[in-house]
Amino acid sequence: MPDQGRLTEDLLAHAVPAIAPLYPPPPWKLPGARILKVIFETDSDPVLDWLPPKLTRSSPPYAVITFEQYPRSPVGPFSVAHQFIGCRAGHFVRVFALQSVVDNPRALVALREGWGFPCVAGTVSLRRGRGRATATAGAAGSGVCEVSVTGLEAIEPDLVRFDPLLTLRLSPSLRGDVRHDLVQLAQIDPETEIRKAARGKGTVTYGDRPGGNTWTTMPCRNVVSAVLCEVDSELPFARYVIPY
Amino acid sequence: MKFGIFHELSVGKPWGPVSELDVYNNALDQVELADKLGFDQAWAVEHHFLEEYSHCSAPEVFLAAAAARTEQIRLGHGVMMVLPPFNHPVRCAERAATLDIISKGRLEFGTGRSATWTELGGFRCDPDLTKEMWSEAVAAIPKMWTQETISWEGKFFSMPERSVIPKPYQKPHPPMWVAVSSPETAVQAAERGLGCLGVSIGTPGEYERRVKDYRRIIRGCQPIGEFVNEQVNGVTFLHVAETDAEAQEWGTKLAYNFAYLAAHLIGISTVYPTAAYKTPGLLFGLRAGGRDEKAPGGGGVIREGMGVGSPQTVIKNLRMWEEIGVDRMVFIINTAEVVPQERVLESLRLFAEHVMPALNRTAAPDAGASVVESWPVMP
Repeated sequence: MPDQGRLTEDLLAHAVPAIAPLYPPPPWKLPGARILKVIFETDSDPVLDWLPPKLTRSSPPYAVITFEQYPRSPVGPFSVAHQFIGCRAGHFVRVFALQSVVDNPRALVALREGWGFPCVAGTVSLRRGRGRATATAGAAGSGVCEVSVTGLEAIEPDLVRFDPLLTLRLSPSLRGDVRHDLVQLAQIDPETEIRKAARGKGTVTYGDRPGGNTWTTMPCRNVVSAVLCEVDSELPFARYVIPY
Repeated sequence: MKFGIFHELSVGKPWGPVSELDVYNNALDQVELADKLGFDQAWAVEHHFLEEYSHCSAPEVFLAAAAARTEQIRLGHGVMMVLPPFNHPVRCAERAATLDIISKGRLEFGTGRSATWTELGGFRCDPDLTKEMWSEAVAAIPKMWTQETISWEGKFFSMPERSVIPKPYQKPHPPMWVAVSSPETAVQAAERGLGCLGVSIGTPGEYERRVKDYRRIIRGCQPIGEFVNEQVNGVTFLHVAETDAEAQEWGTKLAYNFAYLAAHLIGISTVYPTAAYKTPGLLFGLRAGGRDEKAPGGGGVIREGMGVGSPQTVIKNLRMWEEIGVDRMVFIINTAEVVPQERVLESLRLFAEHVMPALNRTAAPDAGASVVESWPVMP
């Protein structure tokens, strides 16, 4: 009797290639998440420079930074930091995704290719202490953004709102026989059930990086609010997709 | 039912050297015509920093000009920001009394606290505290008007004993109102004996519960002024034309642009989670009326009860408000000059000629203030 190999199923390594996309399709269930959100007034010119023509700026212009920690997701735990521009699409309040840092390669690919978040790989941390929270994001070995919130006090969860997100993405297409990528504006409406919320006083600091830090594009002129939430979230398919 | 017009003085971009002048002149012409046609009130907001949406940051000046050009129409602060970071309550009392004198007792004194971060943030005013600030200021102002002297030690302002002058022309003082955009504020208006100045553009159905609660609670109120101003004022858009189709074409432009400009302001509840602002306020009322709140482009804007249509349609719509117990309706008649001035004026003429006579204009209770020709000389 020839000798059998000993690599039984229980010993299979996680590195075995799966016959599946690199990321599961939406919707993604994201239970037990923690989100820190800071809103601040910023400058008009960069807001207008970075918003697509279909979107308009608010008065005054503002930006939003979120640090989101997802202990459970279809691609395993991941954390992401987003920088958004507060804007209007017609009559409605929206936030436009400007840049993101994510710490999980599979999440990075999915967020980029599935939803259009302009992610780069990096480090993201979100820590809560007594009455305070600190979050940092870094990429290419240096810090890009740090948000601190002090004096956290509980507030009613239903007071906190998360506005629908807008992203830009390229959609493969053909014009005749020639590949022609369509630029699209996608609206994503995460379902967010907020279980706990606290509000505090926030500060935003951008890191100095060799070669410049793109996060400084939206300078923090006046912090409006800072909240820390515990949520169960779901990241669905884009709700609307419109041509650029 | 009584009728009024309501001015935000919105100035759409692109702005030219006379854009604001044109808007102000048009608005004053509208007030002058409304006075001649028998409208009862003209209101002007106080807003700050709300670019395009409202360039009416010094309404007392606008209303003083209106007073000089009119005879009978009552002039309303709709509303004065009485929060100390915006206006010291003494300055509120002084300016209002002066306007009351200039207009020979035609002032309606609306009070409010702002619903936008655009304004509150601009004055570094804590959104959590505005309700308390408003409450303190509206308690003090009627005392400033009626007492020979006043001193005040409050949470948000204090002053040693002084004589706040001039005193209002109406005695004991002008009717007082509060801007109401939520059921909670309607209750607070009633508890204080203040008029309910509805400022959210809702439907009669949405107002009905609010009116009932207000009427019930005001019966047992503790008036902060010298009299109870039990009146409910609703607000909506007005464009009357010969046909429904023509009116709706212009009424839609009016309402859509009003909502579009409003959407670009930052409502407190959008960016600052606080129990002090659970509803979005006047500015954002129309958005909820869209077909799909989350659709990229927005929804329909002509809603039940709006003063948009032929005279017959508008009469029918206003009767809905009358039936739920609204005493007065004030109308937004233009925004950013999207309706040509001649059309606005013609709409007012059609309203006065055909709509006003068809509605019961004697049912509204009078305010408790009266005009006297003399006031005792201070010793």
